[in-house]
Amino acid sequence: MRVRIVGAGSVGRYMAVQLATSGHDVTILDQDPQVVSRHRWLHEGVHWEEGDGCEPATLARVGAAEVDVVAAVTGDDEDNLVVSLLAKQEYAVPRVVARVNNPNNEWMFNETWGVDVSVSTPHLLTGLVEEAVNVGSFVRLLSFDQGRARLAEVTLADTSPAIGNEIAALGLPRESTVVAVLRSAQVVVPRGDTVLLAGDEVLVLVTGDAEPDVRRVLVG
Amino acid sequence: MRRRGTEVADTRPALLCGGEPVAIAEVLPRRRVVVLGQVTHMRARPTDGIPSLAVTISDGTGAVTAVWTGRRAIGGITLGRRLAVEGVGRLVGDRLEFTNPSYELQP
Repeated sequence: MRVRIVGAGSVGRYMAVQLATSGHDVTILDQDPQVVSRHRWLHEGVHWEEGDGCEPATLARVGAAEVDVVAAVTGDDEDNLVVSLLAKQEYAVPRVVARVNNPNNEWMFNETWGVDVSVSTPHLLTGLVEEAVNVGSFVRLLSFDQGRARLAEVTLADTSPAIGNEIAALGLPRESTVVAVLRSAQVVVPRGDTVLLAGDEVLVLVTGDAEPDVRRVLVG
Repeated sequence: MRRRGTEVADTRPALLCGGEPVAIAEVLPRRRVVVLGQVTHMRARPTDGIPSLAVTISDGTGAVTAVWTGRRAIGGITLGRRLAVEGVGRLVGDRLEFTNPSYELQP
């Protein structure tokens, strides 16, 4: 995949190295020449460009018209929104990912601003804290596709109606899929005949309005 | 741009500098183009409470959808109106969609 990352802070650099290591074509863009020169040799697979990602000409220079993904991950929500809008409006980039710094701005990170996926660290942290302290409740971790698909997690309490049942027999709605089961620090790849146990952390991908049904099946 | 004086009605878009209009059937995704056609559908399409206006334009060879965000209506854009739009399309389903394209009302 061709990925362009705007913002070479710790988030952007981490993503660039991870994606380049997985073999993707990665260019990272930052407007601060010092940042670019300091990190230029971070990873041989990562290309660096200096420039302002809020300028259409800069995005054109890094090949925005052909890339598969643009990730706007600067520390400024305003910049991330402008980059997202330009990527979608001027270059029809298929997948635009944007970082939300201030959770109060999260409502703007949607289709209107060209954002396909928004990632809010504070929101995610809240979700993970909830997930750590709550057994037997339904915790939303991430949302994709403008909120039409959500990744949720349920740690099965002793009272969950799902315990002892095979996944295929749970009666989960068609709009949901169990994507992973975390069991005593191991990841179990779920199959139809996987039997759920108390204490399992079940990760479910939920689309549409299926959430109440998933909750009923897993939480009770 | 070629000028032919005032005696001949030049129906080509004058403000849009993307060149000659392209038949909609020949428009490729992710290329900047000008298309010219007639408005066949209009729909206010709010996303998360934020208004947007989706306008379908057809030129006989095909149809594209232009979406303008942040507004419910645009003065002059009505059903049946001839309209030129310039922008970069992406495939949404089987239809090309332009986000916030430049536009020009045509006589």
